[in-house]
Amino acid sequence: MKLIRSDRKALYAFMAPALAVMILFFVIPVIYVIVVSFLKWNGISAPALNNLKNYALLMKDKSFSRSVINNIIWALVAGFIQVPLAMVMAIILSRKPKGWKFFRTVYFFPQVISGIALATLWRAIYNAEHGMLNGLLRAIGAGAAAKDWLGTIQTAFPAVLIYWVFYVGYYMVIMMADITTIDTSYYEAATIDGATDFQQAIYITIPLIKKTSLLTCVTLASVMGLRQFEQVYMLTNGQPANTTSTIVLYMYKKMQNANYGIASASAVILIIVGVVFIVCIRKLFEGRGDKPVVAKNVRRAVK
Amino acid sequence: MSETRLRPALHGKELVLAVIRWILIIFFAVYTLFPLIWLIISSLKTNFEFLAQSPFSLPSKPQWINYKNALTVAGLGRMLLNSVFVGLSATLVNVIIASMSAYCISRFRFKGREKIFTLFTAGILVPLNALMVPYFVIINKLGLYNTYGGMILLYAAIGIPMSTFLIRGLMDSIPMEVEEAAYIDGCGFYGRFFHILLPLSRTGIVTAATFEFLTCWNEFVFANLIVSSEKLRTIQVGIRYFTNQFSTDYVSMYAAIVISIIPSILGYVLFQEQIIAGMTSGAVKG
Amino acid sequence: MKKLFALILAVTMCLSLAAIAVPASADEIVINFPSIWVGTDSKAPYMAEMIEAFNAENAGSIKVVVEEQTDYQAYRDKIRTTITTGNAPDLCILDTTFDIKAFAESGKFMDLTPYLEDGWGENFTDGAFDAWSVDGKVSILPFEAAVFTPIYNTEILKAAGWDHFPATYDEFFKMAEDVKAAGYNVMGQMAGDNAWSSMLWYSLIAEAIGGKDVYEGGLSNPAFVEAAKVLKEMYNYTFDGAVSATASDVNGHFLARDTAIYLNGPWWIANFYKEDNAVDGVLLADVCEVATNPAYEGGKGDNGLVTTVQGFLAAAKQSDPAKEEAVVKFLKYISEPERVAQWALSSGAMFFVKYTPSPDTTLISQKVTEVSNNASYTILHVNGAFPTAFSTEFPAALSALILGEVDEQGFVDQLQLAIDMA
Repeated sequence: MKLIRSDRKALYAFMAPALAVMILFFVIPVIYVIVVSFLKWNGISAPALNNLKNYALLMKDKSFSRSVINNIIWALVAGFIQVPLAMVMAIILSRKPKGWKFFRTVYFFPQVISGIALATLWRAIYNAEHGMLNGLLRAIGAGAAAKDWLGTIQTAFPAVLIYWVFYVGYYMVIMMADITTIDTSYYEAATIDGATDFQQAIYITIPLIKKTSLLTCVTLASVMGLRQFEQVYMLTNGQPANTTSTIVLYMYKKMQNANYGIASASAVILIIVGVVFIVCIRKLFEGRGDKPVVAKNVRRAVK
Repeated sequence: MSETRLRPALHGKELVLAVIRWILIIFFAVYTLFPLIWLIISSLKTNFEFLAQSPFSLPSKPQWINYKNALTVAGLGRMLLNSVFVGLSATLVNVIIASMSAYCISRFRFKGREKIFTLFTAGILVPLNALMVPYFVIINKLGLYNTYGGMILLYAAIGIPMSTFLIRGLMDSIPMEVEEAAYIDGCGFYGRFFHILLPLSRTGIVTAATFEFLTCWNEFVFANLIVSSEKLRTIQVGIRYFTNQFSTDYVSMYAAIVISIIPSILGYVLFQEQIIAGMTSGAVKG
Repeated sequence: MKKLFALILAVTMCLSLAAIAVPASADEIVINFPSIWVGTDSKAPYMAEMIEAFNAENAGSIKVVVEEQTDYQAYRDKIRTTITTGNAPDLCILDTTFDIKAFAESGKFMDLTPYLEDGWGENFTDGAFDAWSVDGKVSILPFEAAVFTPIYNTEILKAAGWDHFPATYDEFFKMAEDVKAAGYNVMGQMAGDNAWSSMLWYSLIAEAIGGKDVYEGGLSNPAFVEAAKVLKEMYNYTFDGAVSATASDVNGHFLARDTAIYLNGPWWIANFYKEDNAVDGVLLADVCEVATNPAYEGGKGDNGLVTTVQGFLAAAKQSDPAKEEAVVKFLKYISEPERVAQWALSSGAMFFVKYTPSPDTTLISQKVTEVSNNASYTILHVNGAFPTAFSTEFPAALSALILGEVDEQGFVDQLQLAIDMA
């Protein structure tokens, strides 16, 4: 939209609060973090310039590269498994099966339960001795597969990742709201043409939410995956052998060690990895010349 | 399939789909209800039962005293009110500021727009734990240490990038034509924002508000960092009342958690219709 | 809707303004004290009593305001942040995860030496300050002590045919075989969370092997590789899933009475006497006995004791001498031997203060004190002796060792690398 002169002032006025907040709470603090990332500093003695040494140390540290890889896997699983699952459930529930309102509410519950409770519950489920998962395996005669799920290198990270993938409530609600805005005449026409529910989902629903709520959810979920900290911290504390660590957990431990230089350097790397990731997602969703879909499906907005 | 004769009969693929659909619905319901039920059952045990026996057994005798502990010893009532107040205020401030900036970024081409948007996107990714020191300094310098204002400002601020991102995403999908028509009719900058964009992007605003509120509700690190007075403590601090340096009184903590989630679940159930209505009363796709 | 928003905004602003203006009477000195000795901590009730009494005695002139902190990790984060930004609280509690030496050198804390030399120091146990003073000055005050010595369930040992606790580690593993054969776990190990129990065992084994000079030369002392071997061996005698276990698993097993030996600090002693933990009316304390750390065949250890400083008191440097006096007055108040004796009795905690213990020698805490009094020397646990980086890396290195990802030398190397990095 063109800007006329009077608009310009208004525009500045509208941007001002957000920009002020961004400068005060993000730009300045992040500059601080970047500066500290070049220092050797324990937070109490005088800091000393450390040049790029912190970054060099990070590159060499296997547990840091493992953390970066874990975060990328986490973001991919969140964006491309968790969100599609949420989408499937959103599509199913928006066809209003019996009790859909109840389910919609119930699916949201885990969002409001404190992370501490979820972590202790899942520790108990994965527990080697009286864990529910092992109990289940023994009950179906697969007792040989029973193990210390969070204490085995091969299973710990998948176990941490998987339990959380099925908590889809938040993304589901966002997509359901979007789906309800789709003009019902589309579905009516498709039903007359004999399209199944499945086909309707593929050809009508998904293309219509792709650029809006689906993109939002994929980005949101990936960001959550990249920033993952609390669940890992409480479930495994990054163990065994640092195989479940994440960047933020790594950073947090370095802060505990009062090694602010390396902690800050890992924060900087997380921001860089994250920006690259988000740009890739946007490219993925915008890239393939399917813009016409949106243009064609111009919303019938206000009457 | 005689029993379904009255309705259009499900057969072949459709039957399979219907079965899969219900398996999924039930699976997710069990999966999401289980933690809550487990939590409630655990909150009625003794610590001995919880620690020394199977975590999936039932309490021999329900220990309502845990709830009494949570309410009286930890003083959860005041903390709940604080959480609601801080959460709602921060959310309100947050979405107002974010929708204003989202409007500008989404609807106008101005110098530095791309840079500003990149800045917001990067803001989403900043690991806030790394910012404890600068945030503490800022809140202190503003004279807001140990105040509601400090918490509200900090919570509103840290959610700005995410909220702007969510609201802008929605505004971007509203066609320019709608606004151009209003523009021609003489509707100004503010008019278009209040009368067209804001109502149309309700979905995004509600999404952002829900996210922001949940963030405030679940936040602990900064709630502990920038507040020292018991009067201002929020619920997440209260939940941790039953941990100490050496051990945790799990059962009382679980009682505290159950008490703390009742308002959020109740609020969600009560306001769900409004929230969803807010989400859906915008545009119609098609 | 608009009205509601406006209302909320207005209320918000009023409240934030109201909260800024904290009224304080001009003459009263307020000491702010973020404390972890609150909530469910066993030291909390008596601490609260003391503060109340102190405030009443000094009404109008001094007031100690406690900021309750229950989550220790969050407390550490906050204290570290406040100190880094130059906002150290008037008084706070530190532990060995902080770099105490660097704190003492920083000059940000009050120099307590003149007060200690002026008679107050007499209250403290001999040599309490030695390891923590810088240039002969004490600014970070070692206050709460802890000793770590095994406590065992006599019934389980009896069931395995043992009427005494092993005196050497060779004997220990013979007993372990018997206990295991009788269907019990020997001890609780954990590599999950902060690997606390295993870290304590590691300290005990290292003491038995390396003796009182085990920390000289840091981790390069071969005792640490040897100790890693013994610790790994112990994982054959713990419960299933110890690699991912946490303190609540270890405690739970000992409470369930399926595990023979327990190792933790004195703060846990209260649990031995809780009715909740009784089985068929028998208190845990009634079936438990305190042991000493076994000796190691060919080791240098000789009746040593693993201890730590569980809590230091640190007071921020004050520009106002009157406030400094007030803080010291409070510190003196809570380190008064009679009060400390009561405090110790009511909580089970131990202090670096000389006090007359309770005469009841059947108490587990008394037996622990006896073991500690009979020790020929004390060393710190590894957590306190090495930089924090050691402790944060310990769970990772230990789980790698137990799962066979690294050998004993690799385990020690990994810890050394973490220390070097910090």
